[in-house]
Amino acid sequence: MGALDALAASADPVDALNLRILKLENRLQRERAARLQAEEIAEKGLRDLYERQRQLELLETIATKANTGRSVEETFTFALDAICRHTGWPFGNVYRLDDASGELRPTPMWHAGDQERLSAFIERTQRTIFRTGEGLPGRVLQKGTATWIDNVALDPTLPRCHVAAECGLHAAFGFPILVGSEIRAVMEFFHRDVQALDEQLLTVMAQIGMQLGRVIERQQAEEKLIHDATHDPLTGLPNRMLFTDRLTRAVALRTRNPDNRYAVLFIDLDRFKLVNDSLGHAAGDALLTEIAARFAAVLESACTGDVLPTLARLGGDEFTILLEGAIENGEAIAIADRILETLAEPVEVERQKVYTSASIGIATCASYYTDATDIMRDADLAMYRAKASGRARIEMFDKSLHDKAIERLALESDLREALHNGEFVLHYQPIVALADRRVTGFEALVRWQRKTTGDLVAPGEFITLAEETGLIVFLGDWVLRKALQTLVGWQKQGIAASTLTMSVNVSPRQFHQHDFVAGVLSAIADTGADPACVRLEITEGVSIIDATRTAGIIQELRDAGIRVSIDDFGTGYSSLSYLHNLPFDALKIDRSFVASLKQKDDGHEIIQTILDLARNMGMEVVAEGTETADHVDMLRDMGCGFAQGYFFSRPVDAEAARALLAQVPD
Amino acid sequence: MKGVVFNLLEEAVSRQFGPETWDDLLDDADLPGAYTSLGNYSDAEIVALVSAAATKLGKTNAEILQWFGEEAMPILKERYPALFENHKSARNFILTVNSIIHPEVRKLYSGASCPFFHFREADEHSIVMGYESSRQMCDLAHGFVKGAANIYCEEVTIEHHSCMNHGADKCLMEIRWAH
Ligand code: HEM
Repeated sequence: MGALDALAASADPVDALNLRILKLENRLQRERAARLQAEEIAEKGLRDLYERQRQLELLETIATKANTGRSVEETFTFALDAICRHTGWPFGNVYRLDDASGELRPTPMWHAGDQERLSAFIERTQRTIFRTGEGLPGRVLQKGTATWIDNVALDPTLPRCHVAAECGLHAAFGFPILVGSEIRAVMEFFHRDVQALDEQLLTVMAQIGMQLGRVIERQQAEEKLIHDATHDPLTGLPNRMLFTDRLTRAVALRTRNPDNRYAVLFIDLDRFKLVNDSLGHAAGDALLTEIAARFAAVLESACTGDVLPTLARLGGDEFTILLEGAIENGEAIAIADRILETLAEPVEVERQKVYTSASIGIATCASYYTDATDIMRDADLAMYRAKASGRARIEMFDKSLHDKAIERLALESDLREALHNGEFVLHYQPIVALADRRVTGFEALVRWQRKTTGDLVAPGEFITLAEETGLIVFLGDWVLRKALQTLVGWQKQGIAASTLTMSVNVSPRQFHQHDFVAGVLSAIADTGADPACVRLEITEGVSIIDATRTAGIIQELRDAGIRVSIDDFGTGYSSLSYLHNLPFDALKIDRSFVASLKQKDDGHEIIQTILDLARNMGMEVVAEGTETADHVDMLRDMGCGFAQGYFFSRPVDAEAARALLAQVPD
Repeated sequence: MKGVVFNLLEEAVSRQFGPETWDDLLDDADLPGAYTSLGNYSDAEIVALVSAAATKLGKTNAEILQWFGEEAMPILKERYPALFENHKSARNFILTVNSIIHPEVRKLYSGASCPFFHFREADEHSIVMGYESSRQMCDLAHGFVKGAANIYCEEVTIEHHSCMNHGADKCLMEIRWAH
């Protein structure tokens, strides 16, 4: 029986009153307990709300920073600091994912509340790399989500469990920093006390991880922009901008310390434009990519520790190499040699073997270079010199080149002016039938009659330049028209037979003009020449690039009645098999073979072979450079049909040529 | 002042002197006396209650505050055991008042204005504690420290080197452990 029951059983009024008091006190107790409980619930609710609010503030602070922070380093350091401060967790640290190995590597970004006490832990952390699944960061990487550990000291599989405990660290959590769904980094935090999982905190941290990921994403986009601005999109090599930048730095370094040597290699592919024009841009691109890879491979094997190479593509077919460090002239040349060697092997482009070579100019550091432009210009000059002296050459820059270049520039502008002023004249060299010594045709040869000096300039001194600058296209057109005019004039005047031929040289550049055939046809139409009298002479170099296309053009010309001969046969690259595929009408034996013709000599055999070949293919043969009666006799005896050379006549002006026509052969 | 402080005072008074005494104090101070832990009440009310207690028990206000602080500690421990758990000593516990205890208080009771203390750990047997508050309740702090020592079964003496109640701009108390 309880106290209340005892009192209730009594009839005493005092007992009744006491009963009432007791009941009231009980009720008071209940009310009080209820109030305390209500307060406790409210306090807990408030506390959670408070935490939540603070965490949202933290998230917001970090999100704001992630939007405005200039770099990953700045933003991450800020975040570490803010999280440590907010949560009171004394240690925070960032790992970045190494793409190549897939491992998490420590960074210099960490925050420690009490560095001295944590020094052993920090030191260990700074030199530990985590593979996936390993330790706290490795587990975050493996699971891809935020991870919590109540007490690291209790888990001996954690690589840092001992050192953490020694430094008084127990609880830990980590979370991934994501770009999209990919983990790029991991952040981890440690607490002194053992702490049970705080779900809410971990959720906020996961959100922070997303925010921080945006900074990495932005930085990656920025890096890509910078990379794209400084690299050639085709080959991925540094472009002119980056190359100039590095060279500028090299020049500056050298000014400070002469031991910082450097050299610049300027590389230009020979005849690349022809490949591009004839095989198309896609083929040209494929060729460049392959060549870039070969160059890079050369540098990789050639440059050891002391020399730092930078290979760049300036544009078109121009490549440059900067060699920095302990580089001597000899080494620079050796590397240039290996660059040339690597091109010896043909490049297969669109199932065709394309042979290329390069001309390389080298300029090495000298005290008078104060900026990148100067040394680039000199390397470029040396390259031009290399190109001019024949393909596949290497040339070192020296001061005299500079003067030559200035001369060349002057020549170029004179040449333009000459075209404009009509300072060119044609000379004609007769082509003679060896059987009866009759003049069957002429070869038209251009001369430059300089107005300023009155000198007559030989083609050797300006044709190469005209070819390189493209002026040859205009000059060639003029030559063709002028020569045909002359021929038609003679024929109209009855001085020349209607079968007299006029041979005109076509340069590679002209030949590869897309409207080349149309140009020839319009010159013929305009002058009224008989196509059967027109002979176009092209060199072997033209035919080698793209035999199929060359054959097509030759066929088009032949269909129009024009005849085409191959010039300087035997000096170029073409193998005899090319001839089989190309429908030439005639073949001109180079003067060097004729010059070596002596009684009972080897010169015989080469010429005999060429003659046999031509006969088999039904081609006419013209021997160039016949200088003596012996030459003429021997050539005739070997069955050569035609010849030209000093023995008959040097090239002469139109007036003298007329006179030759009037002569009757004796 | 947060209602929780009034609740603590009520509890301390009731435990030692019975609930009637608390009713008497409210009556003497002329206060309605309905306090909930989360509420905010005028500082004057706690001062009035302390004065009423001093008069009734024949003590000074300072003595009442010290007594209250000492008695409040075990009650606090009942209510917030987590704050006391991870410490091996009173010293350790007291040193967390700025970093953990009062920050936690602010989370529970929005609008709580808890004092900040300056601690100087002179040697391993003593701490000098600086206190500064418009409430001038260094005696409560004194009592809290005493109560904390009791909880960890330690004995401390506290000496007021300077005191706001005696015209100083801040209080300096030296807490000294017997061993
Ligand atoms: C040794 C430890 C502690 C000392 C020295 C201390 C000291 C003080 C003092 C002197 C005040 C009066 C307010 C002022 O002076 O402005 C105060 C307020 C307060 N303290 Fe503490 N305290 C301690 C521990 C605690 C603990 C463990 C709790 C409980 C969780 C606590 C809760 C509060 C609350 C709720 C207030 C009232 C704040 C307000 O109403 O604005 N304190 N403390």
